[in-house]
Amino acid sequence: MRIKTEYLGRVEGEAGVRFEIKNGRLAELKINIWEPPRFFEGMLVGRRYDEAPDIVARICGICPVSHMLTSIRAIEKAIWFEPGPETIAARKIMAYSQIASSHLVHLVMLALPDYEGKSSLMEMMSARDGAECGKNGETEKAKKTKKAKVKDLLKKFINVKEAFNGITQTFGGRALHPVSMVVGGFTSFPGEKEIDRLLSGLASAEDDLEDIAGLISELKPPRLETASELVCLSDDGGYAINGGRIVSDMGLDGTEEEYEELFEEKEASYSNAKKTRLRERGQIMTGALARVSLQSRWLGEKARKPAFSISLSSSSGKNPFNNIMAQAAELLHFWQECKKLLEASGAEKQKKQKFPGRPPAREGEGRALTEAPRGLLYHSYAIDRTGAIRKANIVTPTAHNYLAMEQDLRRLIEDNIDLPKERLKSLAGMLIRAYDPCFSCSVH
Amino acid sequence: MSFYKKFRLHKKDVHSPKEKNPEKKRVGFFKFSCCTGCGFELAYFQRSLKETLESFDFTFFRLASSAGSPEGPFDLALVEGAVTEPFQIVEIKKIRAASKVLYAVGSCAIVGGIPAIKALAPEMEVERAAYRERLYEMSSTRPHVIGDYVKVDGCIRGCPPGERDLEEALASVLIGKEPEFIEYSVCMECKMAGNACVLLEDGLPCMGPVTNAGCGALCPAHHRACYSCFGLMGQANVPALKGKFRKLGFTEEDIEKRFFTLFGALGETGQ
Repeated sequence: MRIKTEYLGRVEGEAGVRFEIKNGRLAELKINIWEPPRFFEGMLVGRRYDEAPDIVARICGICPVSHMLTSIRAIEKAIWFEPGPETIAARKIMAYSQIASSHLVHLVMLALPDYEGKSSLMEMMSARDGAECGKNGETEKAKKTKKAKVKDLLKKFINVKEAFNGITQTFGGRALHPVSMVVGGFTSFPGEKEIDRLLSGLASAEDDLEDIAGLISELKPPRLETASELVCLSDDGGYAINGGRIVSDMGLDGTEEEYEELFEEKEASYSNAKKTRLRERGQIMTGALARVSLQSRWLGEKARKPAFSISLSSSSGKNPFNNIMAQAAELLHFWQECKKLLEASGAEKQKKQKFPGRPPAREGEGRALTEAPRGLLYHSYAIDRTGAIRKANIVTPTAHNYLAMEQDLRRLIEDNIDLPKERLKSLAGMLIRAYDPCFSCSVH
Repeated sequence: MSFYKKFRLHKKDVHSPKEKNPEKKRVGFFKFSCCTGCGFELAYFQRSLKETLESFDFTFFRLASSAGSPEGPFDLALVEGAVTEPFQIVEIKKIRAASKVLYAVGSCAIVGGIPAIKALAPEMEVERAAYRERLYEMSSTRPHVIGDYVKVDGCIRGCPPGERDLEEALASVLIGKEPEFIEYSVCMECKMAGNACVLLEDGLPCMGPVTNAGCGALCPAHHRACYSCFGLMGQANVPALKGKFRKLGFTEEDIEKRFFTLFGALGETGQ
């Protein structure tokens, strides 16, 4: 029996999955990432160091801020530039609001329909359900209540999205492919009035956010245990996002300078994305689940409320399906962190300095690791004395998760091998989506 | 010039507002080589999200739905991304044939955008920086815009696409009117916003004078030079701006490489 999905839905970018069951055993399984390569590492060669953030932002339409932040820090290391505290705080706000935004769209638009047995949020909203009504044996009244619920969810979703996107937009100029975040700092900072507006936006989204996180935490994900090593960044100063040590649940501990010695990338014959693994250790899982598991001590009290917190000491921290629970917890955490940072930023009465211009070019190399919404993101650059990029290397979260996604899918199919074909097909899609993959990033 | 003349669109191709068909318009959204940002703009970032989701029947939109067929027919096809693979050429022709109206969305589809930077060097030189073993089996081609292969009825410009043009396109399809897309330079928006000119006042190499508006003069409003992410506008006076940049002390190489090839690697028309 061959099971094949040519073009997976509700994921970022283009990929398919196929597997074959022979005599009750899983024979072959492949996640084929056919997203066309754009060769960013090649396109960056010869470009000026301060152009890189605007170029790499276009690797991804949902995590451009992460690519910008990672490239900016790698480049600033290469040219020996150290940003000031105001810039560091504003970059944190950009990262937090973007991760929250990305989680929100994944949870509500991409993942939730799986749990409702629907193909999309639009189908959940759909008014024309007369035909389905009899089929599912639901009464007209039950349908109406359900529809009112989805309508209510959409309202909340939009309210929360506007609050987080508003933050990224106010600090970055726009939420998607921001413009004011550059090598050297920010070309402009928002004023006090704008900060107040953002804070009231966050306040008005608080209840809706809790409702959405609550809705997600009540879902019942399928059971599965990954054999992957959970890897994330770690920092003594707080929940690590922009830099830190690389740690894992199996005792890994390294620096971002050591990244290329710790990890290896291999090309796959059937895919445009490369598979990344820890040298001599194997597959890893990175992303919200790894972060929440390994950095739980830094989570804000909102995310620790019993209703939202998942018991991560037990095997649930090793169930990739629980990634959505971890994303819900992070949504609450980043809401709180954004609020804190904005309040601190509004309290600073001193005049914001005018941007002094891009720091000058200097020969050097820089490596940086950050936590993108989907996990570990690595950028490295070699810059010559004229400021031209001579070499670039980018390894994205989905390239880090690729091996684990395939191995976990094998396990999931083997555990459920007796299920009917259609059910196996939808389970496969559901697991891949649980990882919240970004195939555009994975190939880049 | 009227929209119909400009894009050689026949009136019968556009739905009449008098049509008594309460059925929702069928929209197909297609992604080629790009970051999926236009898809996210439509499905998430834009402010009229609720109205968009409620007003149309997205019969093919893989980012947002696991159901639906790319076969059509579509009242409106929105296409993001550049063409960089042979299989995409076949696909874009099929999409065109299945669609009443087809709009290119975003800089990659309209002027080549960031993926077009690849066109500045021999293909293999760029490719070998990313792949080793698979280098010899890659079928990636020189990037092309959608309009190179099929007739495009309109362009929703930007990287990401401007919200105003996106709304204009969607609303026009709903009510059966001709959309009017923004076709003047960033300078117009910048003046209307009352910004100080970063080119004349601060001497920053601003691409605003030759760049199609739609962003609301975002970069100058944030004290940075426009980097032309919406692409060059028609009839832009490129030589004049290059002359201005020379006077600011930029070398010929700087001007070509840094300013005119970031979003304009395929040349002035994007073809």
